This record gives sequence, structure tokens and C-alpha cells, in this order.
Amino acid sequence: MKEESHTDLGTIKIHKEVVASISNVAACEVEGVKRTGTNLKSVLMEFAGKKSSSAIKVEFDKNDEVKVEIPLIIKYGFSIPTVAARVQENVRNALEKMTNLTIKDINISVKGIERG
Amino acid sequence: MRLLKVLGIYFYSAVLILIGLLLIIFSILFSLDKIPFQLHDINNLIVYLQNSFSARMTLGLSGFLLILISFWFAEIILGRFQREKTIAFPTAQGEVTIALSAVEDLIKRLAVFIPGIRELRPDVIASKKGIIVDLRVILKSEVNIPELTEKLQDITRSKIQEVLGIEEQIIIKIHVLKIVTHEEKPNKRKDQDRDDETPIPFGGYGRT
Repeated sequence: MKEESHTDLGTIKIHKEVVASISNVAACEVEGVKRTGTNLKSVLMEFAGKKSSSAIKVEFDKNDEVKVEIPLIIKYGFSIPTVAARVQENVRNALEKMTNLTIKDINISVKGIERG
Repeated sequence: MRLLKVLGIYFYSAVLILIGLLLIIFSILFSLDKIPFQLHDINNLIVYLQNSFSARMTLGLSGFLLILISFWFAEIILGRFQREKTIAFPTAQGEVTIALSAVEDLIKRLAVFIPGIRELRPDVIASKKGIIVDLRVILKSEVNIPELTEKLQDITRSKIQEVLGIEEQIIIKIHVLKIVTHEEKPNKRKDQDRDDETPIPFGGYGRT
């Protein structure tokens, strides 16, 4: 599914993958984040040669609001609530700035802790 | 969950033992030349299966059931259900969930910072009482166990509170699995030293 917006010249569609990629980059920018998590699908996609495939889930609801679910691996020694809050803020800012979408929820799921 | 885990292990062991026993019995019977059935018995069985719809259905369904049961037990033994359990807290921007396996990762890393601990195997359970941490530890022989376990409990509790930012009760149970003597380590080191030795390159005879 794609998020669609109309302009005078036509329509602009933003694919879910784009929102996922922006979220991925924004999440990885935050200090304390090792990487975003993977799932079977993303591993298979990467194996098939598709770049920037992450396990980030993006949903558009009826009111054109976006819900993003980000699995995270956090570096050892960092406070999880602080890092998670920073990721939520950074991802929201990046998505609002780049896509002009209305963000409903940014859910973080901490899947693991690794040495930095 | 623990009961199911044990049941699963017993199930697999029983199946493997049964297969093993059957193989042993058949090999003995074959070597004694006492085959308990004739070839036409097998033929009759196959013909019966071909003709009877209910027999075919029973066979197929039992196979399907066996696959389901074994898949279910495998899931339990591998701890997938446990891994999906999380600690969640809402924030203004959304929800943050922390997998219990992430908390286990965090605790495992503590072993490096506490001298006297060789290995930590944590098992984290979130219950109504709070967070229960089951720690199975392998210690080095020269340590004072009461002192070290108390220190370990304190460090684990404070680290979980600090990293997860939660104020719930944390119950830490420690079970000392093994006490390792110092002798095991130097041997490994010797082997490592041997590996680390940089070989002197052979320059050849009679070179200047």
C-alpha cells in the first residue's frame, strides 16, 4: 500500500518501504542504537539481494495516519527508555520533515542488546 | 511452560529410544534369521491400506498430528514463546516493548565485569509479582560464594533498574551450577600461546 497525496500537477505516492527506510536511517542515527532488528522476511529479502530491507513495519490507517513499529538492538550500557524516546523523536522528526505525513504512533520493540 | 518443556524433551527422547530399540531388535532378529513377519504380511498390509479409506485417513491424520506435536514441542524447547514475551511501557510517542531475551543479553554481559564469575545463564520471567531473574552461574574456585552472589544480585538489580528504567520489584534467584578450578584455564592458555607464537620465516641455508 502507498500513501497518496494530490497536488495541482498530479499525485505523489509514498511507498511503505520509503517510510521504513527513513525510519531505519533515523533510528540508527541515535546514539546507543546498534542496529534495527531483522526478521525472517528481511533476512530472505537481503539474501535475495534487496538492499535496506529491515523488519520495520509501517501501517497507514483510514485517516492517513502512519503507525511505525521499529525493532531495535541497543548497545550495551545505554538506558533503554532514554534511547527509545530519542529514537521515537528522531524518527518522528525525520518522517514529518521528509514525507509530510501525520504520524500516529512510533512503537519501539527492543529485541536485544549487543556490545557497542 | 517448564512442564511442557520437560514433556517435550521426554517426548523426543521416547521417540528416539523407540526407534533405537526397534532397530536393535530387528538387527538381532535378522542376525538370528528369525524374521517375525513374512513378506506377504507386508504386502497384505499395503493392500489393506490401499483398499480401506478409514485406514488411510487414520494413517494420514496420525502423521499430521505427529508433525504438529513435534513442531509444537520444538517451539517450546527452542524457547520461541519465551522470546516473544516482553515488558512494555507506553510513552507519549507510542509504546516501547523490551523482549525478555534482551534483558537476558544484558545480564549475560555482566559476567565480564564481576571477577570470579566464569559464566552466567539468565532466565527472565515477567510475572505479576515483578521481574523474576533466574541466574545459573559457573564460578571460579577461589571465590567466596555468599559475598559474590550478594554482589551479583545487587549489580543485576541495579543494572536492570538503570537500563530498563522500571521501578517494579526484581526478584533475583541464583543457582550455582559449577565451580571451575583454575587448572582448566592455564591449559587453554598454553594452547593459545602456541597458536599465538609467530613462526620465524625460514630464510634458507647459506644465505648472507
